[in-house]
Amino acid sequence: MMVLRQAAAMAGKDLKLEIRSRLGFGAVLPFAATLLLSFGLSLGPGRSLLAETAPGLLWLAVLFASVLSFRQSYQTESEDGAMEGLLLSAFDRAAIFLGKAVAVAVELLALEVVVLFLVGVMFGLSLAKAPAVLAGAFLLGTLGLSAIGSLFGALTESPRAREAIFPLLVLPLATPVLVAGVKATELAAAGRAGEAGSWLGLLVAFDVTFLSVGSLVFGQLLED
Amino acid sequence: MSAAERAMGKLTARPGERALGFLSLAAVAASAVMSLVVSPPDVEQGSLIRLMYVHVPSAWVAYLAFGVVFVGSIAYLKTRRTRWDRLAAASAEVGVLFTALTIVLGSIWAKPVWGTWWTWDPRLTTTAIMLLIYVGYLAVRRLPDNPARRARWAAVIGIVGFLDVPVVHLSVRWWRSLHQAPARLLGVPDIAPAMGAALGIGFLAFTVLYLYLMALRLRVGRLDERVVAEALSPRVDQPVDVLLADEAPAPGQAEEAKEVPARG
Amino acid sequence: MFGLTPALIRADLRVERGETILVRGPNGAGKSTLLRVIATAISPTFGSGSVLGFDMSRGRDEIRRRVELLGHRTRLYEDLSGRENLRFACVLHGLDTEGIARAVERVGLEDAADDRVRTYSQGMRQRVAVARALLRAPELLLLDEPYAGLDAEAKDVVDQAVVEAQQNGRTVVVATHDLARGGMATRTIRMEGGRVLSEVQVAALAREASR
Repeated sequence: MMVLRQAAAMAGKDLKLEIRSRLGFGAVLPFAATLLLSFGLSLGPGRSLLAETAPGLLWLAVLFASVLSFRQSYQTESEDGAMEGLLLSAFDRAAIFLGKAVAVAVELLALEVVVLFLVGVMFGLSLAKAPAVLAGAFLLGTLGLSAIGSLFGALTESPRAREAIFPLLVLPLATPVLVAGVKATELAAAGRAGEAGSWLGLLVAFDVTFLSVGSLVFGQLLED
Repeated sequence: MSAAERAMGKLTARPGERALGFLSLAAVAASAVMSLVVSPPDVEQGSLIRLMYVHVPSAWVAYLAFGVVFVGSIAYLKTRRTRWDRLAAASAEVGVLFTALTIVLGSIWAKPVWGTWWTWDPRLTTTAIMLLIYVGYLAVRRLPDNPARRARWAAVIGIVGFLDVPVVHLSVRWWRSLHQAPARLLGVPDIAPAMGAALGIGFLAFTVLYLYLMALRLRVGRLDERVVAEALSPRVDQPVDVLLADEAPAPGQAEEAKEVPARG
Repeated sequence: MFGLTPALIRADLRVERGETILVRGPNGAGKSTLLRVIATAISPTFGSGSVLGFDMSRGRDEIRRRVELLGHRTRLYEDLSGRENLRFACVLHGLDTEGIARAVERVGLEDAADDRVRTYSQGMRQRVAVARALLRAPELLLLDEPYAGLDAEAKDVVDQAVVEAQQNGRTVVVATHDLARGGMATRTIRMEGGRVLSEVQVAALAREASR
């Protein structure tokens, strides 16, 4: 399908830019690590509390880091006005939206692998008990986050929007991702993988809804 | 103009507005009488239950208003007629008020009943998140100078936000149910008929109040638009004409462009 | 009071296919806005028109397929090379990537084509933009102050795009106040204060200037 091919081209371009800018591992990952350290310092040093809150802190770190990633993703479009180039073509708007969502999702997933490892070490979160559920939670959750972030990232073209508005929009809307992600992670870490089914199901519903709605309305944000 | 639009026009014209004003005053007064005097105190919560008569209708209006934002947003994107954007914007502003009111009332109710100002009651929590989405909507409206862009951006948030609310609610409800066996909901207990009547009148009163505030806000919105239009066009009454080439533009291109707001 | 100023007040414009129009006017005259409206980068608050036979509000996709706007914002990705940028542009506009090598040659970027755009000078960036325009071969080429910040050689490269369009019977509109350029135009239009001036107004201006 044309849209998917175009989305793939878009994602490929964005990933290439992400890798070359070196901001993914250069800035976003250190930021996430800093967050985790701060969380640890403010809640610790008791190991039990940290282990208990680890899933939540982990997802919070991911949430905040994603804000940076999206900002960067759209920054490349505004440096020389490339966004207008996208607008002034007949390129499918949904392809732009999906391509960017996928590219950031891939970057975030790579970061999450490292962050998971850090949290396992620093907070004593058990990663090995239900790795499939864990992977599923992060895959689906990241995808959902990317849908919202890719959509509203388009607003950050306007310099005024860049700083404050984007997090204000994304975080409340991403609540289901946060809740479901944390719960599924908790269950996976406790070895109760079977109970995580409904949470993963919620994430699937979220992803499907917002990837499709985003595809439909993204064009409206680009115009003018 | 469709029948719906004509009705809207009537309601929001000056005499309609005034009528709505009186009606809402009467309805709120009736509701107050019902809630404070006529209905009996609750077996468990005593007179505190009277908060229900404002809290629940307020919540109803908060969600109704968001629904209107949703409808207006979709209608705007489909038709591009500014009246729908005006409707959405007005409803968002009025809705924020009622949403904030709902949360405050819920908080006031929670304190004596459960000893805390905030219970992570799923409905209240969802309402709080909805408030934040509303606030985001209004914040985005302040960003672009271009009215068409503002309307479009706002419409997208109106749509996505509204669709998100049920998902948020579901997730928070499941989240709650894991930790507390007895649901500490701000519950509506068994209702005596008089209480049911009071609640019903409360719903009515708040809905009429919502309509009145909407009428006011829509009028301001119309005035706003007229001022902007005048700022841009030397002649407001006469829509600027389109002067296309007489014959079909096949041999070349003909463009006319009229007023355009300055960029950024 | 609202910060809204009409940038373009009135432009009754008729352009024949194959013409090369030169748009002149002082800063703030609305030349940029006019071009951007034609390119459908912005839409007019009031009024309408048609470009290449397609309506400006309903036929935007069709217009965008056939129009290329060359401005001083080059619309490139800083961390991609010139060649990679062109490759993406081909994907964007559904073009074959075969022509890239030739286009790079024509604009004189063979040596630098594989360096990141971040390292390019303004002249080199504009060359990439010209290469993109050559690849697209649009029916309508719009140039908005394309010579700004360029040396003579780079300006010649820009003119290449104009000449190529002319040779193929396509339409060009150039807005610039670089007096040395624009000699290949078939017609000149003057703008001032958001309006396209009519012949009579131009004559009056000329009379005033020579007094």
